[in-house]
Amino acid sequence: MRRRITLVAVVALATPGLAARAEGQTLEEALGWLRSGAYDSAIAALRDLASPGEEASPRIGAETRRTAYVSYLKVLAEVGRHGDALLAGERAPQALALDLANSIGEVLYHTGRIDEARAHFDRSWEGRAPDRHTARLNRAILEWTYGDREKALSEFDSFIDLYSRAPTLSSKELTAVGTAVRYLGSGDSRLYRDALRAYDEAIAADPRNLEPRILVGEMFLEKYNGTDAAQAFQDVLSVNPRHPRALLGMARAKQFNGSLGFTDQVDEALDQNPNLVIARVFKAWLNLEAEDHDKARSEIEAALRVNPASLKALSALAASRYLRGDRDGYETVRNRVRELSPAYGEIYNDIAELSVKSRMYREAAELAREAIALDPQSWRGFGILGMNQLRLGQMAEGRANLETAFEGDPYSVWSFNTLALLDSFENYTVFGDDPRFRFVLHNREADVLRPYIEQIASEAYEALVERYGGYTPPLPIRIEVFPSHADFSVRTIGLAGIGALGVSFGPVVAMDSPSAKGPGEFNWASVLWHEMAHVFHLGLSEHRVPRWFSEGLAVHEQRRARPGWGHQPSPGFLRRFHQGLLLSVSQLNEGFVRPAYPQQVVDSYLMASLVFDYIETRWGFEPILQMLHGYRGGETTRALVERLLGLRMENLDRDFDDYFRSRFERALNAVEAPRARAGIGMQPPSTEDLIRLAGENPRHFVSRLSAGVALFREGRLDEAEEHLRAAERLFPEYGGNDSPHWYLAQIHTERGETEPAAEALARLTSLNESHYQAFYQYAELLGELGDIDGSAQALDAAVLIYPYEIELHARLARAHAGRGDTSGAVREMRAIVALEPSDRAGALYGLARAYLADGRRSEARSAVLRALEIAPNYEEALEFLIELRASGRP
Amino acid sequence: MRVFAAACAILVWAIRTGAVSAQDTHVLVIAGLGGDAEHRERFLEWGGTFVDAVTGKLGVGSDYITYLGERPEADPRIDGRSTRENVEKAFAEIASKAGGEDEVFVLLIGHGSYAAGESRFNLPGPDPSAEDFALMLDQLSDRRVSFANATSASGGFVPVLSRPGRAIVTATKTGMERNEPVFAGYFVEAYAGDGADFDKNGRVSLSEAFDYARIEVAREYEDDGLLLTEHALLDDNGDGEGSEELEGGLDGALSASLYLGPSPTAMDALSTDDPVLRALYEEKAALEQRIEELRAVRDQMERERYETALEDLLVQLALTNRQIQAQRGGSR
Repeated sequence: MRRRITLVAVVALATPGLAARAEGQTLEEALGWLRSGAYDSAIAALRDLASPGEEASPRIGAETRRTAYVSYLKVLAEVGRHGDALLAGERAPQALALDLANSIGEVLYHTGRIDEARAHFDRSWEGRAPDRHTARLNRAILEWTYGDREKALSEFDSFIDLYSRAPTLSSKELTAVGTAVRYLGSGDSRLYRDALRAYDEAIAADPRNLEPRILVGEMFLEKYNGTDAAQAFQDVLSVNPRHPRALLGMARAKQFNGSLGFTDQVDEALDQNPNLVIARVFKAWLNLEAEDHDKARSEIEAALRVNPASLKALSALAASRYLRGDRDGYETVRNRVRELSPAYGEIYNDIAELSVKSRMYREAAELAREAIALDPQSWRGFGILGMNQLRLGQMAEGRANLETAFEGDPYSVWSFNTLALLDSFENYTVFGDDPRFRFVLHNREADVLRPYIEQIASEAYEALVERYGGYTPPLPIRIEVFPSHADFSVRTIGLAGIGALGVSFGPVVAMDSPSAKGPGEFNWASVLWHEMAHVFHLGLSEHRVPRWFSEGLAVHEQRRARPGWGHQPSPGFLRRFHQGLLLSVSQLNEGFVRPAYPQQVVDSYLMASLVFDYIETRWGFEPILQMLHGYRGGETTRALVERLLGLRMENLDRDFDDYFRSRFERALNAVEAPRARAGIGMQPPSTEDLIRLAGENPRHFVSRLSAGVALFREGRLDEAEEHLRAAERLFPEYGGNDSPHWYLAQIHTERGETEPAAEALARLTSLNESHYQAFYQYAELLGELGDIDGSAQALDAAVLIYPYEIELHARLARAHAGRGDTSGAVREMRAIVALEPSDRAGALYGLARAYLADGRRSEARSAVLRALEIAPNYEEALEFLIELRASGRP
Repeated sequence: MRVFAAACAILVWAIRTGAVSAQDTHVLVIAGLGGDAEHRERFLEWGGTFVDAVTGKLGVGSDYITYLGERPEADPRIDGRSTRENVEKAFAEIASKAGGEDEVFVLLIGHGSYAAGESRFNLPGPDPSAEDFALMLDQLSDRRVSFANATSASGGFVPVLSRPGRAIVTATKTGMERNEPVFAGYFVEAYAGDGADFDKNGRVSLSEAFDYARIEVAREYEDDGLLLTEHALLDDNGDGEGSEELEGGLDGALSASLYLGPSPTAMDALSTDDPVLRALYEEKAALEQRIEELRAVRDQMERERYETALEDLLVQLALTNRQIQAQRGGSR
């Protein structure tokens, strides 16, 4: 299909003016070119048909000429040649004035000449022009957007009468009916189905009419259905691959669906129509989301040059000013919008959604309130308000507003998902013993997680208060922990599928529980620390800190909290540095908000964290703290770097690059592609191939590691060790699950060399936060070496990865008891009871003994009574009870 | 605690009537067709482990055990090939030799199948259905029976075999749960290991073995990050509907009193001629009964009052136990 369309297009492009002038040139051919996107050919042909020379005049009928003229204006408008379209309209014969009124009105409307547009639509309607129904619809839309909404609704309502009474309606008229009903749907969401039905009838009435298909796509997007929207736009693009609005629609659908490549598609749309205001505005929003206000401004200006009355473009301008803290500038634009359209609440909703992207949840809620005040049927506004109240921890208010939003717009998947999640909160328990926190834990795992999460949250809070100059964020901090990743995702963005493990909204932290993933997939405590750091960054900067800064600094804080926490370098990361893919400091935000390759977000976390390693090493922490204050005051990163680091941004880029090269010098040299790969084709290489490759590339990390691992798997331990030691020397910072440290530890363990095995695991666990097996094994080895404290610490670290194994807690309880940490032993015994072991009586008895050792006689009594409830003849427990009683009632 | 109540009631009844138990438990273990070396090996290991536990720590005489397996030559403990014919013969023998008070314990290990509404146990040769086993079990008249089918698709056995006086355990909830279950291994472990004596009375009841296996199965699936595809059932109230969880459910009372082998304490109590010791055993049984009654009203009591009352009874129980120990030591 694609090949056939391409061929048509090529032929059409090859014959522009000639075709129009050739004998037998027909209107049908010209319209075919218009439909297929051969715009140059269509323009030339339609121009000739619409304005034939004197000698050709008699050969062209009036109806053909009328259709050609209308289509000529349409094609000029479609490619953004508004000036030419208006000029053609002015030069049109008087006899065609009524026929062209609506088309001219549309061009005037899209160029911001609202009053003139209104006059043209009126003329078309009142003069009973052939396309008067479309003109009436345009008039109603104009009224809805810039005038009296009640009046507009009455106009829209009349289309239902048209549909009911007219014996037959053309495709264009049915399209108008669909659009009118769609507007009416703002008050009754059931009408969206009727709109879709009218569009379907319009398509059936004339399958060549692309307009209803585009409108179907746009309506699906409006109703959060990216899949069907993409299909609708694809249907158009399969006929006309250059249709600017279809290209833009597809880009929006791709963005909605999380697909890559949508920015290219917007550019394609603008190639076809550089004056497509909605495409400029879309690009502007993308730039605003990427916190690139300069680029956004350039797009907005381009849009406003075409249509100075574009409410969407003005909203984007207002948003840019709002987010940059330019309140006067913001108010000027907002007032302009109010003048143009007093009831236009979407400006607030648009800015609110952008504020969410910039983590300004309180502002988003306030803006949504303003939208609702202007338009009480702004279901979008209610949804934004509700979602952001939930992000701010205002649970009851948020729920109520989301319910209102869902009632008005039951298509909103965000409202639906979030309300369903809120319903499930009945299975969660809120703990608020510590006034600094509200922990929201699922009943199923609350008893297991609670002591650990309370401890980590408290430790993080205290460490961060001290580090951030005594700053205390608004309290309490609500920490929600979800055993289902999908639920965490819904809590965060209203949809499933988020890649992150945790999120901080400021006063609310939401994160995956360790049970949301398998053992070893992540370190939940490290994630919590990261999110707690965000709480401070957002609070200190009043949510104005850029994403790269906050993420990098949070990872930097993770690294300071425990060895091995936070992102660590891998061979792939360093290779991408060689490939020039890693971004400079000044560009790092792009890596978060508009990743160009799949790993770029993760790479950017690490890169940004290294920036803070560098800054703190060179200048200390104070400038970092001052930068957070500076962001609060509206300063840019560039200005802050100059003021606080005394460097131009370009120089920071350069200096950090030097630092990076120097820090990873050895590893960078060791990850470059191997020079020789002879003998290795598409088949997986054999061990001997890998040995040969390592021999030919002795300074290549991956070659040495691969040979070492292959030899280890074959039990050739001595040979494996040689390669693994070499790999370890080449890239000692590598702590991945397949790192040389891990395999060297296994080799030493197999040989019974406990001390070197423990040393290798010490190196690995200082580089890898989530290698559960490594921490566990490390603890065992330290235990064998008599390092009871070290063993207990390693087991403690394993709990921060996966706290659901009874044996782990049993070992920890013994370790803590052995070293006199009685409260630690209690904590572990409580965890065992919470994990519901089959031997509950035994676990409760163990807990009772631990309580007594910790001096908690009352709890000891309760625990042993619970054990004996299950097993009244449990001899040891009965004896314990007698002992307890003999030593005095608690 | 319904579980515990049943056990108490039996002991009290036994002591008050002064009956000396002549009750024996007849055990039939049937390991079915393995299908491949790995499964043959696994079924052999489970069957052997169970038989060792029964004859060893659980104290059942070897005359009371019949072990049928796919390849008798692979293990000297196997008494015969696990064909349908031999299975029927084994049931007939138990029926003829078991006394009226005797109990029967049947364990099926292997693969099961479900088709056309019929659940079957895969043996070398013809596969007996649940209905076939119902006929075999009917020969045992009113004797108390524990029947554990630890195979895949075994859930269909519950409605067919259920009747008062029988406890039916299956590894799966329905015949549609066809994935190979891991239940059998944990069920065997419950009897062979030390982890299933939840009430610390020195013995493992059928309900404890069931609970142990159920919990461990769930834990294994959870640890492996897999969706639980086997849901074991126990039915012992004769209603034909099994329970997944016994706590607070309709089933579990009978199976709480079904043990493999005799209780050392009960046997001591029943066989003693010492009137002091006999009185102490009666006192102990009465205390256990009072503890059970107290537990039944726990939710209606203020916590501290409940705990104090419980503690008093438990301390009395502990002291009685001490006295029993002392008296037993003294009477020797």
